[in-house]
This record gives sequence, C-alpha cells and structure tokens, in this order.
Amino acid sequence: MATSQEMVDQEMLAQAARGDQQAFARLYDRLSGPLYSLAVKMLGDVNEAQDALQDVFVQVWRRAANYDPAQSSVFGWAMLMARSRIIDRLRARGRRLRVVTASTDDNDSTSLAIDASAVQNAADTVGRNDEAMRVRTILDKLPADQRQAIELAFFSELTHHEIAAQLNQPLGTVKARIRRGLLKLRERVAL
Amino acid sequence: MIPEELQDQAALYVLQTLDAAESASFENELTRNAELRTLVFEMREAAADLSRTAPVQQPPAELKRRILSEIALEKQSASSTGPAKRSRIWLPWAIAALFIGFCGILTVDHFRLQRELATARGSDPLSGATLVTLASPNGELLDAKATIAWQANRQTGVITITNMPPAGRGRDYQLWIVDAIHKDPISAGIIIVDSNGVAHFRFKPDQSVAQVKAFAISLEREGGVPKREGPIIMIGNA
Repeated sequence: MATSQEMVDQEMLAQAARGDQQAFARLYDRLSGPLYSLAVKMLGDVNEAQDALQDVFVQVWRRAANYDPAQSSVFGWAMLMARSRIIDRLRARGRRLRVVTASTDDNDSTSLAIDASAVQNAADTVGRNDEAMRVRTILDKLPADQRQAIELAFFSELTHHEIAAQLNQPLGTVKARIRRGLLKLRERVAL
Repeated sequence: MIPEELQDQAALYVLQTLDAAESASFENELTRNAELRTLVFEMREAAADLSRTAPVQQPPAELKRRILSEIALEKQSASSTGPAKRSRIWLPWAIAALFIGFCGILTVDHFRLQRELATARGSDPLSGATLVTLASPNGELLDAKATIAWQANRQTGVITITNMPPAGRGRDYQLWIVDAIHKDPISAGIIIVDSNGVAHFRFKPDQSVAQVKAFAISLEREGGVPKREGPIIMIGNA
C-alpha cells in the first residue's frame, strides 16, 4: 500500500505528465537531493553529476506518462533511472568507481563520519541524513561479504561477472551474496 | 516459492547487470509470474533505498533553473511543431549523434577538456560555458578533435579544432548550431583551418539561439551556405 508521501509523489508525477511544470518543479525539489547525492558519489565529479542530473530530470519529464506504480515507487523509478544514466556515463568514460571499494574493513566508520559532517553543515538535509543513517545502519547489519557485494553491484558500473573477478569469488557465490543482501535489505527496510 | 536461481536473476535484473538476452528471458518470466513481480517490486525499493547511503549533497539552485528552462522550451517546442514533425526534423541529426555514441568517440575526459579550453580561452575566459566535444559520425576523422565552449547568455562560443584535414579546393568547413526551436540548423560561420589542421576562433550564430541541442560541422561550398547542403563531418550533443 502506498504511503502518503508516495501518493503525493505519484500525484506530482501525474500532473507533470499532463504538462504541469509547477508540479514537476515540486517533484524536482523532492527528488533532486538524493539523485544528485548518488550522482556525485558514483561519478566523483560535481560537474558531471550536474550534467547527469539534468539528463535524468529531462527523462523524468518525458517519461512521466509511462510511469507504472505497479512496478516501483516514484522514488525507486527515478532513482534507478538515474543510476542507469550514471552507469552509462561511467561506462562511456571507461572509468572505474573510486568511491566504493571493499567495505569490510574500518572504512565504514569513516563514511559514517563523513555523512555526519555533511549533515551538520547543511541544515536542510537533516531529514535526508536521518534516512541515510537508517539505511546505513541496516546495511551495516548485513554480513560483510553480502554488504561488499551489494555495494559494488549498486554503486559501480561493474557487471556481476566483473564483481566476481574483482572479489576473486565464483560467479554463483557473488550472485547469491547480492541476492541474499538485497532480500535482507528488503525485509529490514520494510519494518 | 520462487527458486533461488530465479531470485538471483531478480536481484541482478533490478541492479541492471543482466545482459540483453538474460533480461529479455527474465522479463518473459516476469509477465507470467505474479509472485516474481512482487519480489522485483520489493527488490527495486530496497535497491533504491541503498542510494540514501550516499553522502548528502545538494544540487546548486542554478541547475534547477537550467532544467526548468529546458523543460519549458521542450514543452513550447512540442506544442508549436508537434511530435511527428519534430521527430522528422531531428532524425538525421539524431542518427548522426547516435552514431557517435556507438563509435564510443565521446570518451574524452571532462577535466582534460576543461584544461584545454582554459588554455584556448587565454585572456578571454568564458565563465559558465557549456562544453561540447564533436566527433566524426562515420569514424572517418578519428584524429580530428573539435571542442566548443558555448556561452548561452552571450550567444557566443569558442571553437578549438586540431588535426583537421584541409577542406579541399573550392570547399569550406562550416559550423552549425542545432537549436531546439529552429527547424534548420543555424549557421555559426566558416571554419578556416591552418596548414597544421588547427583552428581556434570565437563565433556568433546568425540568429538567436534558444537552446543548443548539438553543434555540427559540415563540408560546404567555398564561402559557406545559408542552409546546410554538404555532409556532416563532425557532431556533438550539447
């Protein structure tokens, strides 16, 4: 069942699909922060992240009428579209992710500190950071091998074959880790 | 109960790491398996939530204005020309641009471009310019490189070209701007390449440009033409 926020998102998107630019602007306000944060993290370059964000929102505008609530939330739809566009850019440039590497060591505490610092400097992002901390806490409860596999799979442009090669693990093992990690995230996020 | 192998596929499908054949096969299964559709929905939400762990960043306010302007222009353009007509107008340019993507030519690093442009700008920097790299749509001019810095608010740009072969007797290269609201590309002048295959100059289009979609260079009759006639030899999307 859709939450009240999700219903608002769906209504804004439906209005945007009918050509309502003000509704689109409100949807931008709601989604741009998380999408931009993802773009900066994956691309490691604010200029590229801004270009990517522009691409994504133009796509959101053009494809608003195609959105299907049976397939994903508006947030999920936009986020995965953004991720796809970012990966296209990463692959086009032949880059490899710099931000996310193995997260089975002490790096986790460092990233938490970075998040906390960001929030102190940006009062308007408190809510988003709370959400980030919530998901991060859930992520940290996953077994290290699953967390590592799922972060690589989500935040990089690597295919599952490449992840298996990078982690020096059999493909079947990597697939299982990604699947188990995602299933556990699904269960805990839904709580 | 969904078999583990299918759950593996679902996770990889959500993360978009399946290849085209695997995706097609999975989508086929998805159409007839309601339980699998539910799993995919939930996995999508879980994956999207992962993005929240990225350090919080806020896009600049200027970006919102830029995006809303582009949307407004697109809406205006769609209502004035209609989707079918628009698609015909853009078809050759879109094909050419797609070609570039397939050729993988647009792989020049953004930082490198910025450095080169900063050098090219010399004492007359173009702050806030849009940077565009042009490449050969048919792969013939692989060594040639053209970079444009376009400043929309001033309606001017700077182009830097290297390794461009001579246009040939009775021919000139001509620069074009593909604009969102003009049916035909707008001429931005003749390009004179020196004996080393280099050109660097400031240009200003014949008409006001609302929103640049792409820049292109064509090979035309000597002196240039008001409307493009010759083949497009380089193109780049803005």
